[in-house]
Amino acid sequence: MSEFPGKQVNTAILEPWHRTATASVGLYFHFIRLAFLKFLAYRLRYYTGVVSYTVFVSGHYYLYTALFASRVADAQGATIGGLSLSEVITYVAVSWIGRSFYFNNIARDLMRMITEGEIAMQLIKPFHVQTVMMFEAVGESGFRLIMFTLPIMVVIVPLFHIGGPPDSILYLWTFISFCLALVIYSQINFLLGCLAFNMKNIQGVLRAKMVSMDFLTGVVVPFTFFPEWFQRVVEWLPFQGISYIPVTIYLGKRPGDELYAALLLQVAWAVGLFVAGRLVWRISVRHVVVQGG
Amino acid sequence: MKENETNWSQIPQKGPVGRTVWQAGIFAAYFTQFIKMRLAYRMDFFVDTLAVSFSMVIQLAVLSTLFSKVKALDGWSFEQVLFIYAFSLLPLGLFNLVSVNLYRFSDQYIIQGKFDRVLLRPVGTLAQVIFESFNVSGLNEILLGIVVMTYAGMKLGLDFGVQELLALAILAPSASLVYMGVFLTITSVSFWHEDRMGLAPPVYNIIRFSRYPITIYSLPVRIFLTFVLPFAWVAFFPATWFLGSEEFGRLALLTPLVGLVVFGGSLLIWQRGVRNYASTGS
Repeated sequence: MSEFPGKQVNTAILEPWHRTATASVGLYFHFIRLAFLKFLAYRLRYYTGVVSYTVFVSGHYYLYTALFASRVADAQGATIGGLSLSEVITYVAVSWIGRSFYFNNIARDLMRMITEGEIAMQLIKPFHVQTVMMFEAVGESGFRLIMFTLPIMVVIVPLFHIGGPPDSILYLWTFISFCLALVIYSQINFLLGCLAFNMKNIQGVLRAKMVSMDFLTGVVVPFTFFPEWFQRVVEWLPFQGISYIPVTIYLGKRPGDELYAALLLQVAWAVGLFVAGRLVWRISVRHVVVQGG
Repeated sequence: MKENETNWSQIPQKGPVGRTVWQAGIFAAYFTQFIKMRLAYRMDFFVDTLAVSFSMVIQLAVLSTLFSKVKALDGWSFEQVLFIYAFSLLPLGLFNLVSVNLYRFSDQYIIQGKFDRVLLRPVGTLAQVIFESFNVSGLNEILLGIVVMTYAGMKLGLDFGVQELLALAILAPSASLVYMGVFLTITSVSFWHEDRMGLAPPVYNIIRFSRYPITIYSLPVRIFLTFVLPFAWVAFFPATWFLGSEEFGRLALLTPLVGLVVFGGSLLIWQRGVRNYASTGS
């Protein structure tokens, strides 16, 4: 941390048209590092978050336990939507553990930047706001992984006896899948934040997002619990790539080539949403009017 | 609006009743001012209404999906759980309406020193803090709660007479006193311990699970929700009275008492905190 302020910065590498690929990587890596350090300064905030996540998983644990018990009492079979009780509890736990990793508030940050006029300062800098925000999200999630996700796992996994995936290679695929989820999540957030260019206040939109995201990504209830038509609809939406895909990978519900197909789908959404973000940004920026300040 | 003609600077010397009426007048004026401010951004209120209804639709969809898998959840039918859920929105809405400043208290009033200004005025400190800002979406929650409660009540064939309406008018506000007491206690901690993170978010998240029948939880959790963090009294116990439950219905009648005790206790902590307050000097 100490070597940065004193270090001589070669300004030529900052001009995008002179910048080599290596310099770009170095530049964006700095944003990852800076975001990591920024959140490290606020790490105390996350302690109560561990309690919150434990509350969520516990609440669902009791709800699903009662649901399965009532179902057995009705003699209706011990699985719902192809999942047994222990699978559902693993589903809930892995969903929330993953959420603690990919979550960020890019949409709100971008809205603030736009409404407070700070966007003007960002526009004159020689790098793209969208790319910077994505790498900051990576830095934030790196911080979260160590200071938030790990403590949550230490609490939740023994508490609810969460078992591993059927094959241990799936640990790796689940992690890769959650990393792709991070890109999808941050790009959706970026696109929502861009709405602030046209609407003065997107607080209501962000509130609606907060409630619908956990639902549409499959964090709250597994998709297979819902009617057939709902499952068809969510298959065509990017949200399943945020939680449903990584969690079902963990549960071993995607055998053979289905695993690679699911990961490719995530990559496609990640790239597609990134390009969409670029386009929306290019169009929106033309409308920016910032009052002098 | 006649408020401009009233001379607020004159504190009446008519004893406790006169003083209370005078204070109520002041806070009515606070509310009018706030509404005027909000009406400048009509669109916000509209979007907020949409967001609240949207979240409600999603929660109802989740509830009905889960119930489509079973005949009853631990002996509770879908309509009964729906009724408990809808009832819970009334005290929650009442509480949300006036609780915004409790969450901001540590940051704005203690750290930024806004509390100095509160102390200079000859009106109750807590009332000032609470009535300085409102969360209008609380009204949306109350409204939607009434709509869904009526629907579930009709499905269950409950008859709502004068007695029930009277009980509702007593139980819902007393339940919101429980919320108020819990969160006021948490807020008061910032008089001694300045930190911005606070315990409020995890406690607020527990509310979500206090809407389900308490019988689905294990005994330690039930004891915790009844005596330690008494959220069983904000939805489940009072709502079961309307459902005619023998077992829990009688407990519902204790709700006003629990509300008064929890809120009264938190008031004492608050007052101790006010005495303990040392300004940041800014």
